Amino acid sequence: MRVTFCTDLDKNVVVANCEKRGWIQVGPEDDWNIYWAGTLTCRSLFSVDSGYRMNDNQIINHFPNHYEISRKDLLVKNIKRYRRDLEKEGNVLAERGDSKYLHLDFIPVTFVLPADYNMFVEEYRKAPQSTWIMKPCGRSQGSGIFLINKLSKLKRWSREANKNPLQPQLAKESYVISRYIDNPLLIGGKKFDLRLYVLVTSFRPLKAYQFRLGFCRFCTVKYDSSVAELDNMYVHLTNVSVQKHGEEYNALHGGKLSVQNLRLHLESTRGKEVTERLFDQISWLIIHSLKAVQPVIATDRHCFECYGYDIIIDNKLKPWLIEVNASPSLTSTTANDRILKHKLLDNIFNIVVPPSGYPDVRWNKIVSTEALGDFELLIDEDILNHGNHDDTASLDRHSNRSANFYRWK
Amino acid sequence: MEEIKDKSIHHTALRLCEDLKQNPTYKGLYTDVQKLVSSSNVKYEDFKESLSKSMKENGLEAELRNNVYHWVRSQNKDNLCYASFDSFFKKAQIQWEKRIHKSLNSMCSELGIHLARIRFTQDREELIEKWGELSNYDVDINKYRPVYSPKDFLEVLLNLKGPNYKHRGEEPTWDFSHIPIKVKDLSELRTLYSELSHGEAVMGMNTSRYMSSSYAAFEAERIALGERVVLSNHAPVAQEYLKKGCPPCLRKKMWTLVLGSEVKETHYHYYEKLKTHVLQYDLMVDKLIIKDIHLTASNDDQYFVFEDVLHQILLCFSRDAEILKQLSNKPGYMQVVLKGKPSTPENTLIFPPSGVIPFHGFTMYAAPFCYLFDDSVALYFTVRAFYLRYWFRLHRVCGHSQGILCLCLLFERLLQCYDPVLWHHFKKIHIPPIRVVFKWIMRAFSGHLPPEQLLYLWDLVLAYDSLEAIPLLAVVILIFRRDNLLRVTTLQNIEAVLADLSSIAVMSMLQMALSKE
Ligand SMILES: Nc1ncnc2c1ncn2[C@@H]1O[C@H](COP(=O)(O)OP(=O)(O)O)[C@@H](O)[C@H]1O
Ligand SMILES: [Mg+2]
Repeated sequence: MRVTFCTDLDKNVVVANCEKRGWIQVGPEDDWNIYWAGTLTCRSLFSVDSGYRMNDNQIINHFPNHYEISRKDLLVKNIKRYRRDLEKEGNVLAERGDSKYLHLDFIPVTFVLPADYNMFVEEYRKAPQSTWIMKPCGRSQGSGIFLINKLSKLKRWSREANKNPLQPQLAKESYVISRYIDNPLLIGGKKFDLRLYVLVTSFRPLKAYQFRLGFCRFCTVKYDSSVAELDNMYVHLTNVSVQKHGEEYNALHGGKLSVQNLRLHLESTRGKEVTERLFDQISWLIIHSLKAVQPVIATDRHCFECYGYDIIIDNKLKPWLIEVNASPSLTSTTANDRILKHKLLDNIFNIVVPPSGYPDVRWNKIVSTEALGDFELLIDEDILNHGNHDDTASLDRHSNRSANFYRWK
Repeated sequence: MEEIKDKSIHHTALRLCEDLKQNPTYKGLYTDVQKLVSSSNVKYEDFKESLSKSMKENGLEAELRNNVYHWVRSQNKDNLCYASFDSFFKKAQIQWEKRIHKSLNSMCSELGIHLARIRFTQDREELIEKWGELSNYDVDINKYRPVYSPKDFLEVLLNLKGPNYKHRGEEPTWDFSHIPIKVKDLSELRTLYSELSHGEAVMGMNTSRYMSSSYAAFEAERIALGERVVLSNHAPVAQEYLKKGCPPCLRKKMWTLVLGSEVKETHYHYYEKLKTHVLQYDLMVDKLIIKDIHLTASNDDQYFVFEDVLHQILLCFSRDAEILKQLSNKPGYMQVVLKGKPSTPENTLIFPPSGVIPFHGFTMYAAPFCYLFDDSVALYFTVRAFYLRYWFRLHRVCGHSQGILCLCLLFERLLQCYDPVLWHHFKKIHIPPIRVVFKWIMRAFSGHLPPEQLLYLWDLVLAYDSLEAIPLLAVVILIFRRDNLLRVTTLQNIEAVLADLSSIAVMSMLQMALSKE
């Protein structure tokens, strides 16, 4: 049986990977086995009016309501609810100290505007010196983002947004406002964030894999937290889509340093223990962000999804979750970037397609170590629940690590 | 007989003492000993015993021992294996330097600039302001070209006509076989790198996808041992420790210990003086340095984050007269008069004060160290120590067993003996294999291997106090890719086969090469 694939992206990396496997490209109306689609295509496919029903040999690269994790406001809402629920249960994970969550304090304090305006003001007053970052809930690539350090600036902005007759949508658009992490870890004096990839093949039970080969995205201008530079996005926003317009942008390295090299640098300068702790905390926050949306994501055995996690490390080596992208960029800016993204796609297909080589949603989705490639198992609740350790990817360090994550349960 | 021996020990001790006193850290050490002597632990009645006991206890003994160790290492730097060709190589090196100087001068006259001048105030102020972000220092380097590239230097080496040189027909010089220097053979290398050839567990074997639990346990064990080594503060023990490769978290300390490049307050002052010199004088090498960083580290996704600190340390490096002083066989240097000044001794400057003229890729001798250090001064002194012990021999003509010529010869002999088929393939397609690997050797693989792997290789350089692992690795890489190499016949395709070294696992490949089947 020949495998067929369909895609609405003109990304060479997708097509090349599929063709390499001997899969045949077909149109959306044809009989496809694997659909690599943009989120919009996906949503219309899943919508009731489309009337499309997938059969057991079809898989697709998004969950129908992925926005529960990828929209900035919904992610925050879900994490807040997750923490509250755990707290109600009396779960130690939700333990607090000094009013902060001890183990689940991994997103900057965030409010949705205009809905939570009053709550924001209350929080703002506690520390009027601090800087906040405004981000439109539904946009990406750094668009529409700005920093504020005074309430008056926010008020002025909201007045203007309401007044502007040319852009009435501005008034309707909702924003998140988050505490700005003003003490990011710097290397060579520059701010960066991490782009990590996480593959989820099922939410209930949760099955997630983390890709080892992420990268750091560097700003092109030295970090400077002074007010004068508050509006300089080349200092504050790490998005490549922002930085590449900078005068200092270098297309040969694209401002991207591999995560392995970051790790080498941190281990060499700060020591192994703190570096390990940092990376364990990153895996920890990824798992809990996924568990936070687990109850609300529609279960659909046809779906898998690869998320692009944006994470900032502060100068105390604490990682902060900034956002989760459901369609991380597959565009390559440099040669190494191309290699990485090819590997990413290749490894994803290795995991989502059963050993038979033919997509089948009845498969138990337990992946052998060989098929993992550069992915590492983050969590597989099937394995956790059944203690089924043999012959699976959870061998070695990871079984310990996952066990550690659940030592409180 | 005994008497003579006694006497010579006595002489050595005297020389040692004299030299130690010249050491910048001597004053601190001496003060510490004085303090100790005046403490109640040291008794007048039992002076010698009680002093040496308390020195042991508070670590001064280790420090003194390390000083002796570094002194001894600095003594046998000049052991030329072939004294008879010494003068030949010296002459060749002088000629090469003359060529470099000439090309510097002609670049200057082409561009209408001077080798050295007092820095304009405005320029100085900009430098001061941008010292932390020198990649943004506004200077036009477009017109500057690297003085020479590894390729040019290889040409010079290949054209050396040794004392035994016989013209061999039409073919242009193909290899170094006419240079009559003996290099180690495989079994001698096995003896030198005996820890590797015995196939014991070493660091850097975790390149298989999964961090196996046995490797994690091994690494933990190595770290525990390494921490004790660091605590003991004994340089020779640290050197021994490096033979199995160093866990990244201990490398900075281990390397500093072996090289004796710990920084004290005096080093900060010294570095500050170098910086002042940079601010005061506008030297033409500054542009060459900046140009080289722009051409290399700034464009490299492994090193771009370090471009600013590289500017700082390499500019300071050029001003460091200690480098010129410590180089055995001082390079020929230029004396230049500051622009617009009368030619008096006060206005005359050794150009550059370090005597080192950078070539294309010089930055890569320093870049990998940036992974280890946050502090630019500590970074500087380790880079300098490494340069003075190893790297300087990679860009000069000399017959030293650690020099570039011997390393090239070693490469050729090893390839010939390991894989005659591949050697003949190169011969058949008229491409000297050394041409393919020369840049790896001249840069000690910096910029070619990913930093993690590169640093393991450099662990071995320090551990065995030898660069011979470098040509050995070059041979092994060729052999690993032999099937693909045998399939291609043009230089371009050969280079394509060898372009990507990201999958090379240094330690296991060297181990494989050295182990007896
Ligand atoms: N709370 C924050 N503190 C510091 N920097 C932030 C914060 N939120 C966002 N940023 C910076 O802004 C960039 C864009 O924000 P992000 O939430 O990822 O929006 P987008 O969808 O536009 O990428 C991030 O990559 C990060 O560099
Ligand atoms: Mg983002």
